[in-house]
Amino acid sequence: MLDEPIRILIAALICWLNFMTVDLIFKLPHSGGVSGATAIAREVEKGGGNLNGGYMMGNIVSSPDASAGTLLASCGVYCAGLPGGLFAALLVYIGNRICYDPGYAGTTGCITATFIVYGAVQSGWFAASDFIAGMVIAILTIQGLSSVHASRLIARLWKVRCRFIPEDKP
Amino acid sequence: MIAIYVCAGIAVYAAIRVILERNTMRKLPFLNVVSFAVTGIIALLLPHPITIAAAAAYFVGSTLESNAIASAWSGGIKK
Amino acid sequence: MIACSALVLIGMAAAILHRDPFDKLISLSILIAGIFPFIVDRGYLDVAAATALIAPLSTIFILMVCRRENT
Repeated sequence: MLDEPIRILIAALICWLNFMTVDLIFKLPHSGGVSGATAIAREVEKGGGNLNGGYMMGNIVSSPDASAGTLLASCGVYCAGLPGGLFAALLVYIGNRICYDPGYAGTTGCITATFIVYGAVQSGWFAASDFIAGMVIAILTIQGLSSVHASRLIARLWKVRCRFIPEDKP
Repeated sequence: MIAIYVCAGIAVYAAIRVILERNTMRKLPFLNVVSFAVTGIIALLLPHPITIAAAAAYFVGSTLESNAIASAWSGGIKK
Repeated sequence: MIACSALVLIGMAAAILHRDPFDKLISLSILIAGIFPFIVDRGYLDVAAATALIAPLSTIFILMVCRRENT
């Protein structure tokens, strides 16, 4: 096994890729799911950020999405192995229903993260606690450092995603 | 096991950023980081299967609360 | 553990210093976030799960009461 700080940083990168991919696939930067997300998006845009990035940041705050799913999946695998991760996915699904969220980003992100974390722990390279710390670092880079730069980064990734999966956009 | 110290440090950093931010709506992403970090701390303190339920309940509750604050703020101004 | 006490103190100071009511509610969230690990550390997991559901509900009730006073 590698040294602990390196393991946490690599786990952070894996968690970041997981939740960004799932969120972009579920069209989170397209529009606000609930009214609170739209309010946050407008404020981020007023501060100089990008509106689509703001929508995604607002959606992360207002409803359990893939970032929450990944975090709870790592906690589940840490506490109780693979069944723990799937139990966490069930709890995320219930949370999505409580918050009136119309999508399934959280549950999907949780299930994919459960398998990724379980596989990483079984392979012997990582410990489950690395993924918990890694996920917190990943969400810090998106929400906790600078909303302007983060929203612009999300907008650029959203444009790439729109080019790859062309569909009828209003 | 430095994972729990990482989460604790990030929680304190995000809490300080919440105070220093002037705009009310832009505080909410930092509050979300605090929730993530505290959920991580809860899970790392006590590795027991019921801890997953407590951590998930705290996280969903905190998300619901942030959503309520955001929609109340936006709904109040429009009227 | 020290970090959690720091969270409680920061939340308390912020709640006293800010003027806007929404800022005060956000500072109360930080306060509750700080005391939560203490409950879990003692092993009271069911108390933790119950508090985690009651505390945000009380914030939502405060918001509903304040909105009824404004409108």
